Amino acid sequence: MIHMKNVSKVYSNGTEALKNVTLNIERGEFVFIVGSSGAGKSTFLKLLIHEETATFGKIKVNGFDLMKIKKHKVPYLRRTMGIVFQDFRLIEKMNVYDNIAFAMRAIGAPEKLVRRRVKYVIAVVGLKGKEKRRPSELSGGEQQRVSLARALVNNPEMIIADEPTGNIDPKMSFEIMQRLVDINKNGTTVIIVTHELDIVRSFGGRVIRIDGGEIVEDKIIQPSLSPDEQPTTVLPSPDDDENKKEETKE
Amino acid sequence: MKMKFNSSGYLVKEGLKNIWINRMMSLASIIVLVSCLIITGAAILISVNVNSLIASIGEGNQIKVFLDYELSDIDSIKLGAEIKKVENVQECRYYPKEEGIKEYKDRLGNLYESLQGEKNPLGNAYIVKLKDLSDYKDTIDQINKIKGVSSISDRGDIARTLTKLNAFVSVVGFWVVLILGVVTLFIISNSIKMTMYSRRFEISIMKSVGATNNFIRIPFIIEAMTIGLISGAIASAVLILAYNPIKNTAGQMITLISTSAIPLSAIWVNIIAGFCGAGVLIGALGGYISITKYLHKEGGDIIGW
Repeated sequence: MIHMKNVSKVYSNGTEALKNVTLNIERGEFVFIVGSSGAGKSTFLKLLIHEETATFGKIKVNGFDLMKIKKHKVPYLRRTMGIVFQDFRLIEKMNVYDNIAFAMRAIGAPEKLVRRRVKYVIAVVGLKGKEKRRPSELSGGEQQRVSLARALVNNPEMIIADEPTGNIDPKMSFEIMQRLVDINKNGTTVIIVTHELDIVRSFGGRVIRIDGGEIVEDKIIQPSLSPDEQPTTVLPSPDDDENKKEETKE
Repeated sequence: MKMKFNSSGYLVKEGLKNIWINRMMSLASIIVLVSCLIITGAAILISVNVNSLIASIGEGNQIKVFLDYELSDIDSIKLGAEIKKVENVQECRYYPKEEGIKEYKDRLGNLYESLQGEKNPLGNAYIVKLKDLSDYKDTIDQINKIKGVSSISDRGDIARTLTKLNAFVSVVGFWVVLILGVVTLFIISNSIKMTMYSRRFEISIMKSVGATNNFIRIPFIIEAMTIGLISGAIASAVLILAYNPIKNTAGQMITLISTSAIPLSAIWVNIIAGFCGAGVLIGALGGYISITKYLHKEGGDIIGW
């Protein structure tokens, strides 16, 4: 999934954002990347989506060798991952449905598949009935769910969430995290960048702490939530298998 | 997820939608483009018509020798033989006054009759073609000396002036077309740049979900091509509507223009095809240049990351 070996990133102004980072994240893992501001978290994410190129080392993400990847192959790398942004990044002139469908249309998906798949992910994130709403007519939590649905709609191997709870209230944060855990339980790798340690402690998982561009801690912590509080899986639906089969065909 | 590329309809729709969404900018671009295309088209049409005028006058080495009005037919034939003897004369064709008056009547129509009545004021003439234009003056002098020659209508000067004028119009036309072409390209690419700027957020999201540069580019190119096509259609309509009135007005001032000007029926298809084609081509090029430049620079990044 993600293999980094001795990766360093030095920006043109001389800032060494990542120093000799080595790590492996395997398929199906649930990983938190934590660290203070300026620790190197954003650079780490930028390297993953090839927004930036590492100065030294080796990086392989979802089968793509990012040190050798050609420019025209970058979109195909990005199609293997879904990104959830802290500020949601929704297009105001589009309603919920079109915001989600936009991610599929942007990669040339046939309209028939768009209709089926968007309907499915809207149900997954619990926004059924709100398809026609504009982003400004939704709460912060709902907007983040739209953003999550957009990240999910292309059925990525990996979800990268950059501070997904940063702009929403605690109750909604909990709900968004539950969705991410559910998505992970269905086999999708989830990488969450956050500085909210309460969230990390509540849900548990692998926690990688970055400080000063270096990995200073990499451990698995148990969730502090009781089994009753553990999220339930909402992803499987009668349509799910059918969707996956048809996508494979196409 | 591997997606089948089946989105041409979506891309075209997006391109057309952009025109409406950015309608004020599109309208401004169309107005400026139409102006540029009209000026360019006018320069081309003037050049083409001057060429036609020159062709109607002849190659410049042809003169008309009018005979005395009273000269008998036999004397006229003798005079023709005399003209043929002049060294620099290549060809000498008899041009009877009936033919001459018919030509005038055809050109002037009712106007001629109202001025002249039924009387033919012309004499018989010869149309003489010269071998060498450098001996033009000497040859004219020699023919003038032949008894029975009344006057010589010499349109060579006009032809030479028009040839110079045409060369001038061609050079000016070339630069006008070139400069306005560049201006048009600049306008259309600027218009697309504005559209891109207003949609940079969407482009950024498209990049983050894995849209290829081509996929991002196509709607903008379609938008630019459509603006070019609309501008070309409007400009050609304006020129077609204005052509005949301008031709008629110019024809009233200079009779020759009314007979030599290219009729609209012969060129309207070319005008439409040329203008729409040029509009689409400039649009495609302008759109491609600006979106490619944008995607290679700031548009290549995901905003805010």
